[in-house]
Amino acid sequence: MSLAPAIETAPPAMPFKARLGGWGTAILLLSVWAALLIATGLYRPDFFAHQTLLAIAFTMAVVGVLAVGQGIIAISGGFIDLSQPAGLILSGLIAVRLSEAGLPLPLVVVGAVLTGMAWGALNAAIIVFAKLNPVIVTLATNFIGLAALYLIFQLAQVPNGSEIYHFGRTNILGLPAIWWPMLLIIVVTGFLMRSTRYGRRTTAVGGNRAAAKARGISLKAMRFGTFMAAGGFVGFAAVLFASAAGPFNPSSASTLQLNVIAAVILAGISLAGGRGNFWMLLLSVGFLSTIPTSLVFFGLSSDTQSIFQGVLLMIAVAIDGYRARRSPT
Amino acid sequence: MFETRNTRALAIVALAVPALLGLTSLATAQDKFKLGMLVGGNTCCEWMKAQGDVARALAEKEGWDYVELSNNNDPAVALKNAQIMVQEGAKAVIQFNGQPSSNPAISAVMKAAGIPIVTYDIADPGMYFVGIDNLAAGIAGGEQLGMIIKDKWNCAPDLVISSEGAGAGIVNEWRTGGMRTGVKNICPDIPAEKFVSFEGSGDAAVALQPARDLLAANPNAVKMAVVGINDGGVLGLINAAEQLGRADQVIGWGQDGAFITGDNVNPHLAGSVFYFLEGYAVYAIRDVIKPIAEGKDVPLKADAGDPASKVQPCPVSAEQAKAVPDMAERVTQLLAAPAGTTAYDLFCPNKG
Amino acid sequence: MTDTTNDRTLPAYQLPHHPLRDLLTGSVASIAFTFIAVVAIGLLWVGPKFLSFGNVSIMGTFLIVPLIVGAFAGFALLAGVVDLSIGSIVGISAAVFAYLISHGWGVPGAAIVTLVMCLGIGGLNALAIVRFGADPIAATLGMLTALRGITWVLAGNQRMISAFDIDWFNLINMQVLGLPLFFLIAIGLTLLAALIVTKTRIGRHVQAVGGDDKAAGRAGIPVGRVRTAALMLSAFGGGLGGLVYVGQLGSAAGATGFGLEFQVYAALMIGGYSILRGGVGNPIGGALGLLVVAGVANILDLKAISPYYVNIIIGLLLLAAVLLDRLRGGDSYE
Repeated sequence: MSLAPAIETAPPAMPFKARLGGWGTAILLLSVWAALLIATGLYRPDFFAHQTLLAIAFTMAVVGVLAVGQGIIAISGGFIDLSQPAGLILSGLIAVRLSEAGLPLPLVVVGAVLTGMAWGALNAAIIVFAKLNPVIVTLATNFIGLAALYLIFQLAQVPNGSEIYHFGRTNILGLPAIWWPMLLIIVVTGFLMRSTRYGRRTTAVGGNRAAAKARGISLKAMRFGTFMAAGGFVGFAAVLFASAAGPFNPSSASTLQLNVIAAVILAGISLAGGRGNFWMLLLSVGFLSTIPTSLVFFGLSSDTQSIFQGVLLMIAVAIDGYRARRSPT
Repeated sequence: MFETRNTRALAIVALAVPALLGLTSLATAQDKFKLGMLVGGNTCCEWMKAQGDVARALAEKEGWDYVELSNNNDPAVALKNAQIMVQEGAKAVIQFNGQPSSNPAISAVMKAAGIPIVTYDIADPGMYFVGIDNLAAGIAGGEQLGMIIKDKWNCAPDLVISSEGAGAGIVNEWRTGGMRTGVKNICPDIPAEKFVSFEGSGDAAVALQPARDLLAANPNAVKMAVVGINDGGVLGLINAAEQLGRADQVIGWGQDGAFITGDNVNPHLAGSVFYFLEGYAVYAIRDVIKPIAEGKDVPLKADAGDPASKVQPCPVSAEQAKAVPDMAERVTQLLAAPAGTTAYDLFCPNKG
Repeated sequence: MTDTTNDRTLPAYQLPHHPLRDLLTGSVASIAFTFIAVVAIGLLWVGPKFLSFGNVSIMGTFLIVPLIVGAFAGFALLAGVVDLSIGSIVGISAAVFAYLISHGWGVPGAAIVTLVMCLGIGGLNALAIVRFGADPIAATLGMLTALRGITWVLAGNQRMISAFDIDWFNLINMQVLGLPLFFLIAIGLTLLAALIVTKTRIGRHVQAVGGDDKAAGRAGIPVGRVRTAALMLSAFGGGLGGLVYVGQLGSAAGATGFGLEFQVYAALMIGGYSILRGGVGNPIGGALGLLVVAGVANILDLKAISPYYVNIIIGLLLLAAVLLDRLRGGDSYE
């Protein structure tokens, strides 16, 4: 299948070419995004306004942080985490409970992040000890998790006027307060994945786990590490989500999933593992978050939104597949 | 729509039903009345679970057997559940079916088996209608909001925004359309182009992003009235306005009263219309199920305009709603009240 | 896909076949035992009513669409190209079929147009996956989303298209020997699919392509064409499912088929298929997986156990099934 990592071949020892490929993604994404912005601006000149910027940036925040988590799973060879909705709702519920108890925002964040990491660890434990594929495991845990969550709670919301409530509604330097942590997370993760031994190792495992194993890297530890890290990002995204969502229920996060996966694929982070640049997430998330806003400016109904998103995702993965097929690995 | 044709047709589906009716009634020969409840099963809404909890408690009070199945918000599951109710020998069934496309088939299955079925809120010609007149509830809320628009903005808002939940089908059209009608009843001269809408799925968290986009696309609107399929949908737009620094430009009026109680009410939600959805079983049991259990003949009233039991909408301002307890507390009080006392009797601060 | 780190040198399908051993150790065997266990639990706990014609009819009616969809989608799974869009294909098929009928078309014409459209959708999936090498999960997830959007637009503000055709209704809901005719037809389709998979050259080609596409290509099997055909078959099955739903419910809704893909694939995986790796699984095992899930749900229904536990149990069952498969020597991850 197209995603089968080539075990028998050497790891992609061609940083120059890979990097060039990465910038190709950047140029492509930037030009498509620019085309969309210009087209909308020509149709409706008032598109270029601070309100539009705010609307898009708010949308970017949650999707961007989730996409970093999804990207870590993908690049390390875990393929995909289908349990993000359950992890997000669970962490969001903890964030709500902690803020209801009057805890300051930093502690709420810690609580939610730890919850997310615990969720990731649970997934990793099943994957590692039962030796089961992450896709199936997370499909099942999401199923179980959302059903169990509905037995625990049906509605939750952060208290009006609490610290976290304001966090979801304030601007810093003209951009949403919840946008900046997303920017920081993407930039720092991108840097760590490229420039630290641990980051490069994670990518290498995703590209060729047999070789990684032969070099003495513990796949079990790697799996726990990546799933807990990704879970931590889901937990942090849950804080951003809960801060502004108002009352939410166990099914409120299910619509986010597709955008997150699309963002990872568009950013060129290979679902087969071993390839990708996290900085590209800024462009892919920005582009994807602009689409619904643009459609509204064009006066199209929101039903059409899923048509555009779906077709776009298909085209993106087709291009991704075409590129992967032509690259010599 | 097609009731006469399909009853004849659906009789064929039910060919197997009499046989198995005999089988089950042989197996469970005792004469205990059995009430079946098909809950909506959409994880969106706490009241869907509460509807089952209240029906269960009331059935136990009456000393009846009680079976509950969840429709999982899926039309095919709803049809299967109806067939199971027949097999399990339910003597009467209550349903909330959020996916009413399966209603004609369910209604025919029940008819063939001779089991009366009550449907909440979404009418079907073969089912006892218990519920709110959604259109009337929409109009009532819209008129309240219209009066605020008249007072505050002299009937000249920049926008009247509707937060839709198209998944609810006709109910959505009744409620949001009714609210627009209500606003126009008070302010007839608002031009048609001032009425805009967006799809928010009736979920505050899901509505947030499309609501932001709508606000961004209307940067010059500073006097915005918001209506919607429910409180959650309206709240989605209010939250979006808070994020974009425009909260003081919006006034919302919801439906269903989900987010107008407690100490966490958004100050820009001016009011809502309580249905007290959790307590519908009181109406259904008092006016349909119990008389049937006592062997009385209850005429089939299936029309929302002339229902078997009418739930009164209870429009309240945010101020009035402060006197109303939250849903969990309401369920407790409702179950402690004498039989037949409705949540409207107990809690509506604004009867009339 | 990602299940490639197993240490076995030979994939299961290349082991020499021995009918008796296959029967006892194959993936069909464990699902068959699970099935027997579910039936036994049903009989002991619920009583003889569990296997009464009436109760089986209820399960059967509900299973018609999943069985048909599963039998066809199984070919795509076997060929190693999972099609997540089947639920949305069921939805759009029901919507288009209902739309045409409500606009005065006859059933045969409407059905043919609908099914041809579904073949086209399968062709588009194949274009992205086979021609361009797109990842099947991601590509068909895109198709799932796009088709759902089109279905909503078609179904309009009320999210529903009424389309009651008396003859179609009677046909779909016909009972034979106390059981729904189309349930029996769906079982027949399953057996036919199993025959094709195990006894014909086409079937062996599909398995070979899913097991190892490079080896299959070297052996002269037209990999691309097999996968294209499998994806079109999968979409065609979804199309049939939509037609049946319209017959059962008398209408199509915006939510018709919503989430069906996960229900069906969870059951197919319980029955021995894999959505991540081709070449494994068998239509009979898949059908038994669907029967097991329906049986468990039915037991919960009849025992009036809180309906909110059903999804939890299905999820646990799925984990148990893939674990069992691995312990039996199936794929292990890392």
